[in-house]
Amino acid sequence: MRGRGGVAALPFPVIAMIGPSLVLAAFVVGYPLYEIVRLSLHEVSRFGMIRAFTGWGNFANVLADATFQASLWRTLIWTGFVVGGTMVISIPVAVVLNLDFAGRGLARTIVMLPWSVSLSMASIVWLWAFNADYGVVNTFLTAIGALPRGLAWMARPETAFPIEIAIGIVVSIPFTTTVLLGGLSSIPGDIYEAARIDGAGPWMQFRMLTLPLLKSFIGIAMILNMIHVFNSFPIIWIMTQGGPNDTTHILITYLYDLAFRLGRPGPAAAISLIMLVIVFSFTLLYLRMQGRERA
Amino acid sequence: MKRARLSLLCWLALSPLVLISLFPFMVMLVTALKPLSEIFTYPPRFLPQRPSFDAFGEMWNATRFALALRNSIEIAVESTLCTLVVAVPAAYALARMQFRLAGAYRQFLLVVQMLSPILLVLGLFRLMASIPWGDGTLVNTRIGIIIPYAGFQMTFAVWMLSSYFAAIPREIEEAAWMDGCTRLRAIRSIFLPLALPAISVTGIVAFVAAWNEFAVALTLLRDVDRQTVTLQVVNLVAGRYSVEWNQVMAATLAATVPVAAVFTWLQRYMVRGLTFGAIQ
Repeated sequence: MRGRGGVAALPFPVIAMIGPSLVLAAFVVGYPLYEIVRLSLHEVSRFGMIRAFTGWGNFANVLADATFQASLWRTLIWTGFVVGGTMVISIPVAVVLNLDFAGRGLARTIVMLPWSVSLSMASIVWLWAFNADYGVVNTFLTAIGALPRGLAWMARPETAFPIEIAIGIVVSIPFTTTVLLGGLSSIPGDIYEAARIDGAGPWMQFRMLTLPLLKSFIGIAMILNMIHVFNSFPIIWIMTQGGPNDTTHILITYLYDLAFRLGRPGPAAAISLIMLVIVFSFTLLYLRMQGRERA
Repeated sequence: MKRARLSLLCWLALSPLVLISLFPFMVMLVTALKPLSEIFTYPPRFLPQRPSFDAFGEMWNATRFALALRNSIEIAVESTLCTLVVAVPAAYALARMQFRLAGAYRQFLLVVQMLSPILLVLGLFRLMASIPWGDGTLVNTRIGIIIPYAGFQMTFAVWMLSSYFAAIPREIEEAAWMDGCTRLRAIRSIFLPLALPAISVTGIVAFVAAWNEFAVALTLLRDVDRQTVTLQVVNLVAGRYSVEWNQVMAATLAATVPVAAVFTWLQRYMVRGLTFGAIQ
């Protein structure tokens, strides 16, 4: 950017060009944010009437609420396992898809395909696949003799949540692989040539060349995934709605449950703000990483 | 010979993921082709014995699918246009003009992008419910959902477009000014044609996002006649005592295949755009 005097701070054409985007953002982010702050500081009736000012009351109630605590803990597990699992699978997949093999184009297309299925549609298909009586998973497992009879997968907490995590991983792989593939394709091939001449085997090449060069892409994919997964709503909402007995709620589904089914907008707004703080710290992390990249 | 072995190894390594990626499509297709009697037989079978397309027709009538389809198309098209109208000039300013607050504006966009609409959904609902419109409020209206969609897609669109725009050589436009072209004319007759592919790709991304969106639509579109395909399909499953899975899978297939086709075609542009967006 040029110094002072060279450019006006905001010349009129620039205001005209970026102005509408600022207004739109203020409208869909600014006002809702103001409303949420207001709700969180007041007692609110189930129909949204704002009553007495309660200060931190809603926050104190939420923090003491056992379901909130369990959901917070489960959100950490959810985010950690989905993002971790996604990275562990996506890095080797991206490396393989970057190799020059017959049918690579087709393989890339197939791996990207789940991206095109919306999370809600994917959740419905998996819900049917795990159906207790007629689902294809039970059909298969009983046919090969792995199970004597079908399990009610989504009706038990110990299977429902892990299945949701697995689906979270499956739907995150295409995006992650795409970002990593973009990173891999920016690595020049001749450095591998040089490494090979120096006698480095494939594993050495991966550890000493690919991983370090891919580091910034891995970091960015991880943080973007963390934010997405942390806010991910459709999988859990459609498959279990937080049930059975609130055992699959993460913060975002619990928030929605409180706001729109249990009629408690005040605590729901408090959870929104707590989540916003968490997302905001992810964002700062991302900005700092980007700053480091540029420096 | 060496390449053949490598290819075999690569496909072998990818095979579990390939299977899992194709699995939902297989389940959708196989189930949608079964008559209801074959869904609820015991022991269940994977393949249909008498494949038929009846489930598609039954689903079409049971869900008012045509109406939902029209709602989805209208909402997705209009929010995409709205996104582009706001994002293209902003992206042009970011890529071509130098102004002192450009860095701050970029960061502002990024922060807005991180605030996913679901976190603000309570506030969005109250916003729309507080604005009178026709007989009621903006809840349950098309414009009430188009505005949030455009607002949240816009940030991503500005990012993506500005990195594409920056890659279009500035000299071509400058040469046109030399020849006495006004800036606006140069934009219209030189820049826009070159930028059209990038704008269409961004537009399609915004379209697909609006088509697939669930949480905001669930909150703001309460009236069945206003609902999108995504919502209608979820309604077939949620809170039902008995679910007619062949119809549900026919509906998911119908909602998914058009988007999957567009995505497959778009995928090579996505690699580029995302990398730009993530890094620049």
